Amino acid sequence: MANYPFTPQAAEHVQKLDLKITELDNPEYSRIVERARKRIEEAILSAVVTEQTRNDEIEILSFPIALIIVTAAKDPSLKRRYALAEAKRAYNILKQENKQKLTEVAKIFGWKIKQAKTSTAIPQTATADFTVHFTDYLRNTGNFRESKWKLINRNMFKGEVYLKKDEAARLLSEEVRGHVEEKLETKIELTLPQTVAKEVERLRQLFVSQKGKIRQEEMPTETVIDAFPPCIRQLYSMAPNGRHISHIGRFALTSFLINSGMPIENVIEVFRPTSDFSEKMTRYQVEHIAGGRGSRTKYIPPRCDTLRTHGICPGMDEICRKVRHPLGYYRRKLRTIKAQTSAPTAAAGGK
Amino acid sequence: MEKREFAFLLSKEKTMLRHKGFKSVDDLRNFLQSVAPSDVYYSSAYFERPEEEMDAKGWLGADLIFDIDADHIPTPCDKQHDLWTCKSCGASGHGIKPEKCPRCGGQKFTDLVWLCDTCLESAKEETTKLINVLDEDFGFSIKELTLAFSGHRGYHVHVESEAIRTLDSMARKEIVDYMAGIGLEPSLYGFEKGSNPSLEDSGWRGRIAKGTYEFLLTTAQEQLENVGLKKKIARAIIQQKETILESWKKNGPWKILKRVDSEGWEEIIRQAIRSQSVKIDTVVTTDVHRLIRLANTLHGETGLLKIEVPANEIERFDPLKSAEAFRHGTIDIHASYAPQFRLGDSTYGPYKNQRVELPTAAAMLLLCKGVANIPEDASNVR
Repeated sequence: MANYPFTPQAAEHVQKLDLKITELDNPEYSRIVERARKRIEEAILSAVVTEQTRNDEIEILSFPIALIIVTAAKDPSLKRRYALAEAKRAYNILKQENKQKLTEVAKIFGWKIKQAKTSTAIPQTATADFTVHFTDYLRNTGNFRESKWKLINRNMFKGEVYLKKDEAARLLSEEVRGHVEEKLETKIELTLPQTVAKEVERLRQLFVSQKGKIRQEEMPTETVIDAFPPCIRQLYSMAPNGRHISHIGRFALTSFLINSGMPIENVIEVFRPTSDFSEKMTRYQVEHIAGGRGSRTKYIPPRCDTLRTHGICPGMDEICRKVRHPLGYYRRKLRTIKAQTSAPTAAAGGK
Repeated sequence: MEKREFAFLLSKEKTMLRHKGFKSVDDLRNFLQSVAPSDVYYSSAYFERPEEEMDAKGWLGADLIFDIDADHIPTPCDKQHDLWTCKSCGASGHGIKPEKCPRCGGQKFTDLVWLCDTCLESAKEETTKLINVLDEDFGFSIKELTLAFSGHRGYHVHVESEAIRTLDSMARKEIVDYMAGIGLEPSLYGFEKGSNPSLEDSGWRGRIAKGTYEFLLTTAQEQLENVGLKKKIARAIIQQKETILESWKKNGPWKILKRVDSEGWEEIIRQAIRSQSVKIDTVVTTDVHRLIRLANTLHGETGLLKIEVPANEIERFDPLKSAEAFRHGTIDIHASYAPQFRLGDSTYGPYKNQRVELPTAAAMLLLCKGVANIPEDASNVR
């Protein structure tokens, strides 16, 4: 249970102990709070939780306390980082477990998992350890970018996807990540005891300073056409020629331009020459995508693989292979362009 | 039913009436009788409050749907029955509409798309492939699948299963890629890594083998070169056909075709994937808020019914017969244009600017397509 503090069994155990949050600064809990702090600290600094105390009780209890602290810090990226770190911890443990244990943990999350039987219809299943239902598989591979994780590259038979043990552990840790993230989204207003509140503030500060180190430079305010990825470049060149652009192509182009900092008026102008231009309609849609209407969400372009599915991707170049999002490409290319021109003061406006 | 959104295309106003919900079939029937829309749609999605605006509906899940339409399939008829007309200069032509008008360079067209046995047969073949993958690879039972002729140029396949209901758009995109052969890496199926695919294999492994088999044995030298194979490789393939055929009994042709380099194999496998992939509309399946035509209602562009077909009867299914809605009487019309077409057991046309008395279903098709009208002095309907 100490290995899997995120399971309902562990949660039940914690509940029985009837721990009061208001009493957390009581010295008898100090070791638990201390362990919770360590969990988060390691997550912030190394994006993983590796250490483990010998005391199972402390291991189990420190997890929900850490959740409370991270939730209280109210920083979405800290939440993501902590969830990732706990997931990595789970992965490291899961890949060492035997098949039976791994199956048990997967079933806690409602997976349809079985130990694989060799099928003559699929010769490669000889090396597989498990099968999971493709829905469990798809729910947890959305963030994986290696092509071996694409469903089409898996052996699948009658809805069952074949996996090696290490892959099953990786997939299961992704489930853990989602689960922890979900727990961190719980909206509870708590009054934390002073010492814990102080800890929250200290960890938040630590994260901010750590994040400052890894944060990439801000997007420039001027759109740099030379830094467009091939897909956007193609769409962008289609518009002035009045070529018809598909619905999803328009969405990709518009959201990209807006996110690259192009003013709404200029974006509308891009579409003026298209064969079926209507200013009113275009304005409405551009403003909607920019977050100025209705739901007030500012949209970002679809990911590379989505563009590929819908036939927007014209083929990859060198940089494309390193990114999975058109905006990622743009940021990367901007950096190279900047490095090449290497003007000490970034020329205002650029080109 | 009470969790679905319904939408209606109003015949006269040509506007879409959306965000309607119904508690029972009777309520819907009464509504249809009083409004008489040209087209009826419902959402593949389930909502807590189907009558609210999109953001407030409360999405609960959606069926997994596939749309197969002759528009997305290269067909042997090359859509010669379709007619495009340039909006600026009036030039027109048959077949798939060009990007630019050959006469004036204009890019706005009106187009008339038609439906023929060849188009519908291609769509049927793709549908059969789709059902096969849904069954073999995805493990859906036939009773979880609903199959229907769309009333125009294709088929709709719905999977109504609890298991897939809450899959998000990203997950559905992976299913689309699986069907359409997008992102497949042959090396991950053991190609060139010692365990090459064989014809008995299941899933895409088997499909790579089957597609390669067909391609190598049925393609002429010239076509082999057309897809990018070097001349000497193409010649080697043609010369060794017997050996290739023989090789499938053992380990396949992968190692015996010495002249084919890895680039050549890549090209061959790309062709194999193309022929084995299912040509579906990628947007429809990934859209978790899609509206789809309701079965047993008319398609406003044809006057034919969207009609369900049991999955195991698709082979024998004749859409141009079964989907006829108007089976009695005739209508006297003036047809401005129509290629030759079949409906039921009869063939009609071609017509050009002529007055003709047609069985109701055939007349409705022309009227719905906008290529005919009812003359003022006609004594319809008989």
